[in-house]
Amino acid sequence: MELRLGLALPTPNIIKGFDLDNHKPKETGGLGAWNKPSKRSFEQAFGNFKEECKAKTLLLWSGQPNEEEDHKDQTKTTFSTIDENDAEEVDQVMGWPPIKTWRKKIFRQQHRVGRTEYNRVADEENGGSVYVKVKMEGVAITRKIDIRLYHSYQTLTNSLITIFTKDRKCADDDHTRYTLTYQDKEGDWLIAGDIPWQSFIKNVQRLEIVKKWG
Amino acid sequence: MHKKMMFSFPDEVLEHVFSFIQSDKDRNSVSMVCKSWYEIERWCRRKVFVGNCYSVSPRMVIRRFPEFRSIELKGKPHFADFNLVPDGWGGYVFPWIAEMAGAFPWLEEIKLKRMVVTDESLELIAKSFKNFKVLVLSSCEGFSTDGLAAIAASCKNLKELDLRDCEVDDLSGHWLSHFPDTVSLVSLNISCLGSDEVSFSALERLVGRCTNLRTLRLNRAVPLDKIANILRRAPHLVEFGTGTYAADLRPDVYSDLAGAFSSCKELKSLSGFWDLVPAYLPAIYPACSKLTSLNLSYATIQSPDLIKLLSQCPNLQRLLVLDYIEDSGLEALASTCKDLQELRVFPSDPFGAEPNVSLTERGLVAVSSGCPKLQSVLYFCRRMSNEALVTIAKNCPNFTRFRLCIIEPRTADYLTLEPLDVGFGAIVQYCKDLQRLSLSGLLTDRVFEYIGTYAKKLEMLSVAFAGDSDLGLHHVLSGCESLRKLEIRDCPFGDKALLANAAKLDTMRSLWMSSCAVSFGACKLLGQKMPRLNVEVIDERGPPDSRPESCPVDKLYIYRTVAGPRFDMPPFVWTMEDDPSLQLS
Repeated sequence: MELRLGLALPTPNIIKGFDLDNHKPKETGGLGAWNKPSKRSFEQAFGNFKEECKAKTLLLWSGQPNEEEDHKDQTKTTFSTIDENDAEEVDQVMGWPPIKTWRKKIFRQQHRVGRTEYNRVADEENGGSVYVKVKMEGVAITRKIDIRLYHSYQTLTNSLITIFTKDRKCADDDHTRYTLTYQDKEGDWLIAGDIPWQSFIKNVQRLEIVKKWG
Repeated sequence: MHKKMMFSFPDEVLEHVFSFIQSDKDRNSVSMVCKSWYEIERWCRRKVFVGNCYSVSPRMVIRRFPEFRSIELKGKPHFADFNLVPDGWGGYVFPWIAEMAGAFPWLEEIKLKRMVVTDESLELIAKSFKNFKVLVLSSCEGFSTDGLAAIAASCKNLKELDLRDCEVDDLSGHWLSHFPDTVSLVSLNISCLGSDEVSFSALERLVGRCTNLRTLRLNRAVPLDKIANILRRAPHLVEFGTGTYAADLRPDVYSDLAGAFSSCKELKSLSGFWDLVPAYLPAIYPACSKLTSLNLSYATIQSPDLIKLLSQCPNLQRLLVLDYIEDSGLEALASTCKDLQELRVFPSDPFGAEPNVSLTERGLVAVSSGCPKLQSVLYFCRRMSNEALVTIAKNCPNFTRFRLCIIEPRTADYLTLEPLDVGFGAIVQYCKDLQRLSLSGLLTDRVFEYIGTYAKKLEMLSVAFAGDSDLGLHHVLSGCESLRKLEIRDCPFGDKALLANAAKLDTMRSLWMSSCAVSFGACKLLGQKMPRLNVEVIDERGPPDSRPESCPVDKLYIYRTVAGPRFDMPPFVWTMEDDPSLQLS
């Protein structure tokens, strides 16, 4: 059985369509054929499936941006401040507007920091916010905090406890012990609390709360 | 049948003639004239371009072109730039490097776009090609500064290292110190690097000893007060990208900087300007009159400062800028920069619900009216009208690239509330040389009818949230004779148009469709019938055959290939099988 799927350069009069149901060529007369009501039935036929399948897609996508953000931001330093809360991306259409990822990050940083001049070179005490990512073991969502809002390890850990108490899964009970660790400029992971607070805030790139070992 | 001896030149003569033919397309045409021309051409092709790394195998390329010195490869589909292609999809360069390492010790140039490049690949390049000169990685990922260190240390003849828009794992800024004393770079682009551990002294020393340096694009970490020293070591720079362009205003830093810029008499292109502080902008004024290219797209500089700057740049041909320029700035641009050929306006707040700047269609209309040489436009805005588009089309019949992004999907003509079919129709009708078009706004099947009818030179079309039915897709596939790349997302296009125009896909590089209505059954059929196409279904929901055949696939990527199906696919990509028993005779 010779099957023809269509012509590379269709003549105006005849277009051989392909009918999935019957698996044989169907001659639809002319371009006008496309305006037939069969268009609607096609939509109807697909409508339900499309909705069903689309819903599943949306559910899947809500899990994605966080992971991807994490992965791509690994190399960012405190210098290039981290962008908006991951959760916001969920409400937006994936990949729209069509702006390259690295450009989006720059826009967000600038938007956050505001149009006031963000001056890293000069007096750091008066500088703008410095956002670092905080991840807690067992919690899907990564948070961001402005490290400049705190003046000691105590205030930092108190705040983190408040933030993450809401996020912890019910499986973890209150008796689980956690350790606060941080990644420094050299990329090493260290336990927070060993160096003076001022040095810490200059060095910290990201934070992670891990379950206490042993 | 007798041979016409007068037409047979000695091979060397033909080879010499062919050496003047640089363009890939022309070379391909030459090779199809006759068998002997094919043979001669393949032995003297020095630059190979592979637009889709999966369309041919490295072995086939090496077999056909035994003497090439330069290779350019492209990997992932364009929509990967916007995160529509999941991580792990493919585009690995290693198999190519491995194949060439064995066969080709004399390879000099590698240019890659949207490929995954590992440190292992870079180390293999460093080890295998003794005369390696040019490495251009555009939008690539997968490597770290360790790989760069290997390149720096071993490629003694390196001339060009360009890492534009790459994602690099910054492990240590010291890779720069691996360059030997004898290296003489002509071009260095490290603007994508994030680390603030670039060793400034190593950088200064490197720049100092590369006396032929013409292009230098620094990364954001290089502070403003280091620029002057670097510029003074490279007075013959033609293209320069600053780092952070922000610092407390200090007269000594300012005058140092201004002096350095004025000592670079050959500067034509400037970029960088992260975190720009307007007070330091006049430092570049001495260079402005010669500038042909300016990239301010990272600078949150407001319209009045922009207008002042642009008034100093009468010879500008290329401008990249944020929408802070506003309509007023674009009007000023239109009156000052009469040589403008390319304009890109990016949104400063793409995710905000309300406009944060006064940039509308008026700005683009002004530029189209004032700049007769305008050829290439990328414009993000929040409103458009058919009237404006028609005016723009009539003003600029020489457009080769027109990409309009109205930020909110399906936005109608703000004056008439009609679709923007007529406006885009005018673009394709008046701009007969249009090669690339990106659509946005509210669009029906009608716009595709215009495109199919008029856009005969169109090679690449990007469509999102547009159209009503398969008729739209059918118009494009059946009408656009020069179409090579088609990328579609969130449009109600399904099986009919695709299957009816299956043969068209053999004439194109690739087709991308995501969040459309193409069923798994249609994909299977296409895969079975078209042996020279790879039909790949990307679906992170799980195997497509776990759902009904009529269920639409999530993403579809179809490309022509002579290499057969690929074997490096991740678990969420399925290639539809060829079925020899059902092939066309």
